[in-house]
Amino acid sequence: MKIRTWKRMVRQGFLNVFRNRIMSLASISAIAAALFVLGLVMAVVMNINNIVSSLESKVEITVFLKDNTSKADIDNIEQQINSWDGISECQFISKHQALNKWREEWGDKKYLLDGYHESNNPLPDSFQITAIKPEFVEGIVEKANSIQAVEKVQYSKDVVDSITSIASTTRIFGLSIVGILIAMAMVIINNTIRLSVYSRRREINIMKYIGATDWYIRWPFLMEGMLLGLFGAVLSSGLVAAVYSLLEKRMGGPSIENNLLSLFQLLPLDAILYQIAVLFILIGSIVGTIASLLSMRKHLQV
Amino acid sequence: MIQFINVTKEYENGLRALNNVNLIVERGEFVFIVGASGAGKSTLIKLLLKEIEPTAGALFVNDRDLTQMKPKEIPFYRRSMGVVFQDFRLLPDKTVFENVAFAMEIVEASRKEIRRQVPAVLSMVGLASKANNYPSQLSGGEQQRAALARALVNNPSILLADEPTGNLDSATASEIMKILNMINHRGTTVLMATHARDIVDSMKKRVITFHKGTIVSDKEKGEYFFED
Ligand SMILES: Nc1ncnc2c1ncn2[C@@H]1O[C@H](COP(=O)(O)OP(=O)(O)OP(=O)(O)O)[C@@H](O)[C@H]1O
Ligand SMILES: [Mg+2]
Repeated sequence: MKIRTWKRMVRQGFLNVFRNRIMSLASISAIAAALFVLGLVMAVVMNINNIVSSLESKVEITVFLKDNTSKADIDNIEQQINSWDGISECQFISKHQALNKWREEWGDKKYLLDGYHESNNPLPDSFQITAIKPEFVEGIVEKANSIQAVEKVQYSKDVVDSITSIASTTRIFGLSIVGILIAMAMVIINNTIRLSVYSRRREINIMKYIGATDWYIRWPFLMEGMLLGLFGAVLSSGLVAAVYSLLEKRMGGPSIENNLLSLFQLLPLDAILYQIAVLFILIGSIVGTIASLLSMRKHLQV
Repeated sequence: MIQFINVTKEYENGLRALNNVNLIVERGEFVFIVGASGAGKSTLIKLLLKEIEPTAGALFVNDRDLTQMKPKEIPFYRRSMGVVFQDFRLLPDKTVFENVAFAMEIVEASRKEIRRQVPAVLSMVGLASKANNYPSQLSGGEQQRAALARALVNNPSILLADEPTGNLDSATASEIMKILNMINHRGTTVLMATHARDIVDSMKKRVITFHKGTIVSDKEKGEYFFED
């Protein structure tokens, strides 16, 4: 088709959206709702992936010792650890030091720990190990676990595993909701196009007599479906951006001292919005176009 | 130019609207198709537009076998035909100019061609002064002129008219007939289905009379044939 004809098709598509505004609004809301949920799922998953990769680059390992391990054994273990490959630092933290550190961390709430004394200190002795590189972590953990006096070895992998499982649950659950919502949006767009075809049936009939090709008749409706999807994509991108920046404010600025909380630092909005918006526009226009094609196959006999 | 060979059209409900029709119309002829209601006149026109398919027989237009035509070719075939109906079929939300230009947009004419061709065809049918009116602002005769302009703007070689004067009074109808006659003199083949006996009798053109799907009379410079 010639360029002026394409322009006509686009204009006609916009015109169809506008003429059919109630149904258009319903279609746009439906596709926006589906994409919004998708955006939330993506935001959660992207943040989790970010946490996971920052955890995977962590080189700290904590080795907890069984209660009543003798001083001699502790020295022995420390020597052993220092002889392993990839150890950058190995520091012993006695149960006494651990309790003090805990008090420090809790700051003005430390009175809550007043009930704990040397005699009933619940914390074990431990070694705080730092590996040279993340690749050494697994090997160190394995060796530490084989030591008799070791009660438990804690390192980022545990957290990574549980977070990863949260991510995959979110993904499966979220994406099935998205699938259902997209199917609903398709039904609504399908109906919108059906009504649009119906309201232009006289014109279509005349076009056929005059010798319009099938695609000349179809294109405005395809454009209409595509535009509905695009508008839905723009709307939902805006919604995701709004909700996300609100969440960002709630979670506080980037300067949280607490180590654990800083793991849950949200990715900045602009780091995720671009990807989300591009995907929305793609999915929106594809869903709109497909819904329109399906509708025409049923309701537009050309 | 137009040739029906043993054409039969039976609708899905088993009704035989045309029965074994043989017919030749030469280039440049003016032909009336007459007959009582239900005789098969509109069916004949729909066959020519390839809106429906014959049940049996062969149908040639401009040496092309319509029964062998691929679906993709139909729009381009239709561009060689102009068609007008009793109910005008103008688009109510477009002006006369836009209604006519619409037909040229469909064949992807340039804006320049449209600006030149539409006023020319509107003045040919005597509607130049009403170019910016909407169909609701026109009389029946003027609406049929606009429909004629739309049918003619792409220079078809054949004009099909299904009861074009059916909704018009006799004075207005004879105006339309003048235009059809002029178009015919310019070389366009005209096929007109009608009930209007006075028009047929006054025009002295070829008259083909149908009765229950068969041709019962075919006369040069004929008159309205009535069987009962
Ligand atoms: N789509 C259809 N399905 C079934 N029967 C049809 C269909 N269209 C027309 N017919 C029948 O075919 C016969 C011929 O119809 P047609 O419309 O060709 O008549 P006509 O000569 O144009 O009549 P009129 O002067 O009333 O317009 C009629 O009996 C009509 O009822
Ligand atoms: Mg008829």
